[in-house]
Amino acid sequence: MEIKKMNEQENTLEIKNLVIHYISDEEVVKAVNGVDIIIKAGKTLGLVGETGAGKTTTALSILNLVPEPQGKILSGEVLLEGRSVLTMSELELEEIRGDKVAMIFQDPMTSLNPVHTVGAQIAESIEIHRKVSKEEALKQAKEMLELVGIPGERSNEYPYQFSGGMKQRVVIAIALTCSPDLLIADEPTTALDVTIQAQVLKLINELRRKYHMSMLMITHDLGIVAEVCDEVSIAYAGRIVEHGTLEDIFDNLRHPYTKGLFDALPDIEIRRSELKPIKGLMPDPTNLPSGCPFHPRCDYVMEVCSQSLPENKWLSETHCVQCHLYKDTNESRL
Amino acid sequence: MDEVVKKYTTRKEFFKQYKKKSRLQETWNRFLRNKMAVIGLFIFIFIVLVAITAPIIANYDTEAIKINVPNRLKAPSTEHIFGTDEMGRDIMARIVHGARISLVVGFASVALALFIGGALGAIAGYYGGKIDDVIMRCMDVFLCLPDVLLALAIVAAFGTNLVNMTIAIGLSFTPKFSRVVRSAVMTVRGIEYVEAARAIGSTNTHIITNHVLINCFGPIVVQVTLYVASAILTISALSFIGLGIQAPIPEWGNMLASGRAYMRDHAYIVMAPGLAIFVTILSLNLLGDGLRDALDPRLK
Amino acid sequence: MFKFIVRRLLAMIPVILAVTFVVFTIMYFTPGDPTNTILGNEWTEDASAKLKTELGLDQSFLVQFFNYTKNLIQGDFGMSYITRAPVSEQLLARFPNTLKVVAGAMLFCVGLGVPIGVFSGVKPYSLFSNFTMVVGLLGVSLPIFWLGLLLILLFSVQLGWLPSSGIDGFASLILPSVALGANYMANIMRTTRSSMLEVIRQDYIRTAKAKGVNARNVVLNHALQNAMMPTVTVIGMNIGALLGGVVLTETVFSIPGTGRLLVEAINKRDTPTVLGCLVIMAVCVAVSNLVVDIVYAYMDPRIKAQYGGGKG
Repeated sequence: MEIKKMNEQENTLEIKNLVIHYISDEEVVKAVNGVDIIIKAGKTLGLVGETGAGKTTTALSILNLVPEPQGKILSGEVLLEGRSVLTMSELELEEIRGDKVAMIFQDPMTSLNPVHTVGAQIAESIEIHRKVSKEEALKQAKEMLELVGIPGERSNEYPYQFSGGMKQRVVIAIALTCSPDLLIADEPTTALDVTIQAQVLKLINELRRKYHMSMLMITHDLGIVAEVCDEVSIAYAGRIVEHGTLEDIFDNLRHPYTKGLFDALPDIEIRRSELKPIKGLMPDPTNLPSGCPFHPRCDYVMEVCSQSLPENKWLSETHCVQCHLYKDTNESRL
Repeated sequence: MDEVVKKYTTRKEFFKQYKKKSRLQETWNRFLRNKMAVIGLFIFIFIVLVAITAPIIANYDTEAIKINVPNRLKAPSTEHIFGTDEMGRDIMARIVHGARISLVVGFASVALALFIGGALGAIAGYYGGKIDDVIMRCMDVFLCLPDVLLALAIVAAFGTNLVNMTIAIGLSFTPKFSRVVRSAVMTVRGIEYVEAARAIGSTNTHIITNHVLINCFGPIVVQVTLYVASAILTISALSFIGLGIQAPIPEWGNMLASGRAYMRDHAYIVMAPGLAIFVTILSLNLLGDGLRDALDPRLK
Repeated sequence: MFKFIVRRLLAMIPVILAVTFVVFTIMYFTPGDPTNTILGNEWTEDASAKLKTELGLDQSFLVQFFNYTKNLIQGDFGMSYITRAPVSEQLLARFPNTLKVVAGAMLFCVGLGVPIGVFSGVKPYSLFSNFTMVVGLLGVSLPIFWLGLLLILLFSVQLGWLPSSGIDGFASLILPSVALGANYMANIMRTTRSSMLEVIRQDYIRTAKAKGVNARNVVLNHALQNAMMPTVTVIGMNIGALLGGVVLTETVFSIPGTGRLLVEAINKRDTPTVLGCLVIMAVCVAVSNLVVDIVYAYMDPRIKAQYGGGKG
């Protein structure tokens, strides 16, 4: 296992200037508007943002599964271990899906096929990528179930016989059976009970370490980020507004939106303190504000903010931000 | 579909509330955007207008009924657009007058079915439990008999005239309406405003008529449209096999039945009546589908 | 599964009895004296009274119904008023023809409706899909009897390819099957298409794609079974209508089947035959619904499990 990821220098995933819009007769939903993401081998990147920030769409583009025909990838590049995903043939895509990249979906309730046994659903992936017999695949599926903490003999049962947390374990098992190089976890705990969330998160984290996978953790929960991530990208209206290491973001945050996210967290230390939600709503993705999309909600708004989009500015080797506040300075202005 | 789009549509719906447009207005706008549905509506309005103005278009006694042997089996021409039948009657005149029968019996039988079936369904759906069981078991029995056959049995027993036929078709559709209304009532029953009405002490009858039925209006309108189509089809079917409207009264189904013997050499004789049935049914189906989509955009 | 089938079969009995009761009641109240029909010119008061006693018509409604059901259970449908022969003989002679037409129509509408629906649902924006939508829309609105006449005009009269009436051999079944099945073909096609559209955007389809399942297997292994459930329901709901339509098809194509027998019997006021036809058709509907339920149970693991069915 160690040998597999020897080359630490290599980037497992590089997304460059990705733009994805959903185009229908009535409107254009600007879901992703120039996202850059890099995940180094063996590392975990947290992609944080509110619902509708384009996180899931970005994730689906890595598998080239952006819903057709409305979803249009207008520009950008997605490089998986140096190979461009967006230009791959359907056959090549089928080979990497589930084998090189696997995805854990948000809602375990709807992510499993109701008419197949969970064992069969795990085994399918093994059959496709490992080219083994059906019996062998089912045997391995049982082992996989055990690995995620479900008794192997339940592999003959159907999804409806499982609870939400158990289903998510099955989804995780499906994603991990072929020990992918990159695991995408799209809000893997959002749909679960609070008590189950921690278990599932722990499971993902353990297995990721065990198999030395890189991971893209999509979440809106900064607690999860602190627990599992090495680096963090903050997404807003289809853009990465701030990116850095865990330290950069948690101790040295620069973007007003990032600050807003942290201020909106409840503080257990000071029980009486009021929550400070970010004012206003996520902008309508069919009608984004001019300039910086965050400016109508920003406490630090300046004249220039509504006029032009801020450039990406690198504050250090690891930390970058898209905000007009940092045009001339690297120091925090919040 | 992607979560972004999903969330977005709900948000859009959310903002729409503030635009102070009534639900009816909104539904109507959605309906108007559906081209096929609007075409259906126009065709149907046209058919209704034709039925209303039938006496102006053609004289019932002299053109639609009176036998005119020298004129028989004339192919379509400027004088007789659809030709003449085996008795020398103008097919166009007969079709125009036939429309009246189809529409009147169609709507009357559906009204009957809606009245009886709707009442039974509303009671079953509203009270639930044993009452529901008993009513729905009875309806299931009727559903075991295809509605054409049930209508046939009733017509067979009581004879073939306009009123019996309306009753026969109406009764054969009753179980279906009881189901539609029942399920609509059951969905509405649990909703808060009905609970609220119950809480402030409204009587059951009051709740059923003023809250439940009014909110079932949408699905019922859709079903009425689709079943009027069915009813019109059943009328002509019964007449076609000789157990519905009897000659010489012009009805599309019996026109096909009597024209059948001559169609090998005079194909036009079965074209116009068949087309009349087809277009009427089609327009109502288009209208019904359009209404359904407009009332419940999620079902699309 | 066996238990499920037995239970459903038992549940059918009261339904069939109830249908018999309904039909019997309707026919009982038929105005007019049946002895008129039977005796015709030989009608006298005495002969009529004698015949009534013979046929049990002088007994009360309930007794008559009881006797009818008792005989029915033994396969005795009573005596035809017209031919004075057992109704069951007639039914036995006619029913296979009806079955052939219905089976042909079923084969036509499922065999064509499902695949077309699936294709058109998988590629909802293609030309093919739009075309099938239009055909489907027209198809559900076509009256069986008119379509039948048009088919005869085209394929028998104009082209001379297929027989226009009777029931000898496969060729004679084609037109009736198409005429009878066209409505339901369109209906099944539309249902399959829309449920396919619905299923194909489900999360579990995305999961399957993310596993690397190829496009063909995504449809065949993952979408089809789920998408077929509403279709099976629609097929079940339409079997009754299909049997009702048989009356029309048999009239158009002059097929000596149960439907034709029913119409003839109604015209001749032959009540026992009418009753027999209606009962047999109701039984058919009940049995077909049972078959549909079983198929459905096999497709949905939740229902299968409920009845302790076979393993997964």
